[in-house]
Amino acid sequence: MKKSKLPMSMDQIESYFKDNLKDSIRDFKKEEIKKGLKQRPMKLIWFTVDRKSFRRAVKLLSKIQIPHLSVTSGSDIGDHVELIYHFAVNYGYRGDEVSVSIKVHLPKDDLTIPTITDMVPGAITTEREKQEFLGITVKGIPDSRRLWLDEDFPKDRYPWRWDETGMEKMSRYVHDMDEAANTPTVKNLRTRGDDDE
Amino acid sequence: MSDKDTTYQVPIGPIHPALKEPFMINFRLDGETIVDADPHPGMNHRGIEFMGMHRNPLKVIPLAERICGICSIVHQHMFTTAVEHAAGIEPTNRARYIRTIMAELERIHSHVLWAGVAAHEIGFDTHLHFTWKIREKVMDLLEFITGNRVNYAMWTVGGVRRDITKDMYPKIEDTLTYYESLYTKLEDIFLGDPSIRLRTKDIGILTKEEALRLCGVGPTVRASGVKKDVRIDQPYAAYGDLELDYIIPSKFGYENTGDVFSKTLVRLKEVVQSIDLIRQCVDQMPDEDIDSEPKKAVLLNKLKKADGEGIGRLEAPRGEAFHYVRLKEGREELDNWKVRASTYNNLATYAPMFMGEQIADIPIIAACIDPCIGCMDRAVVVDVSTGQKTDYDHEDLHKLSVEKTKRMLGGSL
Repeated sequence: MKKSKLPMSMDQIESYFKDNLKDSIRDFKKEEIKKGLKQRPMKLIWFTVDRKSFRRAVKLLSKIQIPHLSVTSGSDIGDHVELIYHFAVNYGYRGDEVSVSIKVHLPKDDLTIPTITDMVPGAITTEREKQEFLGITVKGIPDSRRLWLDEDFPKDRYPWRWDETGMEKMSRYVHDMDEAANTPTVKNLRTRGDDDE
Repeated sequence: MSDKDTTYQVPIGPIHPALKEPFMINFRLDGETIVDADPHPGMNHRGIEFMGMHRNPLKVIPLAERICGICSIVHQHMFTTAVEHAAGIEPTNRARYIRTIMAELERIHSHVLWAGVAAHEIGFDTHLHFTWKIREKVMDLLEFITGNRVNYAMWTVGGVRRDITKDMYPKIEDTLTYYESLYTKLEDIFLGDPSIRLRTKDIGILTKEEALRLCGVGPTVRASGVKKDVRIDQPYAAYGDLELDYIIPSKFGYENTGDVFSKTLVRLKEVVQSIDLIRQCVDQMPDEDIDSEPKKAVLLNKLKKADGEGIGRLEAPRGEAFHYVRLKEGREELDNWKVRASTYNNLATYAPMFMGEQIADIPIIAACIDPCIGCMDRAVVVDVSTGQKTDYDHEDLHKLSVEKTKRMLGGSL
């Protein structure tokens, strides 16, 4: 199906993606939250797409309008990492903007995702951030340096992961600080729970 | 680097050339001309998102509020909106109006503050003192309403914590009239002054195409003629009830050039818009409770049982800002929290704006996106500079910038 004229309605966006992506799309969810005295709705769309069709989904989106990527959020959900690309379409039309959040699941044994910076150059900041905070690899990223974290931050620790590569062993709580408090050496504080165990 | 390469590198920061915030930009220069700019953020990253994932939502509100000192309303507003979305809680309409009034008051305060910083960067310190003096009036009003000059502690999930009562209206109106009476002077100083025009016209240009491709936000891209404003595009709080339009330069008979001048124009015009919006809110404010769930223990229990994800998206003074929250049933703390401030998206727009400009223009261009590093960064990082580099500190740069203004004015300032 071809795209309709702007602004596209939620149903149009739904059929546009469903017709083009067919089976690789699942958990499609439309939301309208009515706000204020005039009950003007806030429109949101969520869906999950297979990794191999992800670039196609972004391509379809960029045919509607130059896509606005707000940010990518990511969470560690047990056996996979879920990335959510928060896009917005129909900007420039009063009350018609729709937040399109595209979810991609990356299995823990293969944490890679293709870059979208060729289609959305503004995605570079958020792609670099996801690499250092979630330990994923963005294939084809034009600049893979760290962005926020320092060079001396451990290479195999990722702040947003809940598994063994996460930060739990690096953070200290007051109630199990006794040992460190009794022998307050620099070495004790630095390596606790990290290399010595 | 080959022998023929005549460029050299200048790292600027971590003490920022424009604001006293830790941020670094690596410039590649050919003589006086900038050929490349590579921003290095992260000096102020303290892992607030990680901290938030170990606290319950109500404890995160004060944390979110402290992400930024200027737009503290923005982060508490977005966070509460995202939690309300995730848990399916509705704030009362009166709370929506009060939130809107507060957000617009903050916009006035932020834009007036920015105008002062921008003037300072090009050597007009009298303007800095003037704008910061008139900013006090809105700060006083914010203090009058909330009890605090910054970090207002006004938001809660489901509403607000303090009411704006009828007896406060005269004081609000008084402040708005004050800004209206001064606006002509403000515009005259910043848009009419030929020497400021010289320093801001055709400097730091961001084309409409680049603005769209780089996903820029806020006044930075509206100055290039891009119609992006969350308040209008996807109304939140009470904005759906109010009359407002995109502020772009062509609406006022100027060209959508995307230079520093148009960015100044957009910000000043938004002050007028904010005054209008606050008046509309005060007129239409419904009579209701200010909080849909005053019992916080009940609310906390409800949040513990909630399962879902939510988005908070709003137009901060610097542009669109975004929070993503995920709540898991049975887990008291947040399952996931992503904070995205406006400067994060505008970071990418630095490179095209700096390209081809001169060293002396660095401070004003750096300032023109109204960067808020505190918002954008959230870990502790040390600067790693390598090789032979020339270092300009803030004082040197400021001196260069002031000298350029003097040169352009033929030696008098």
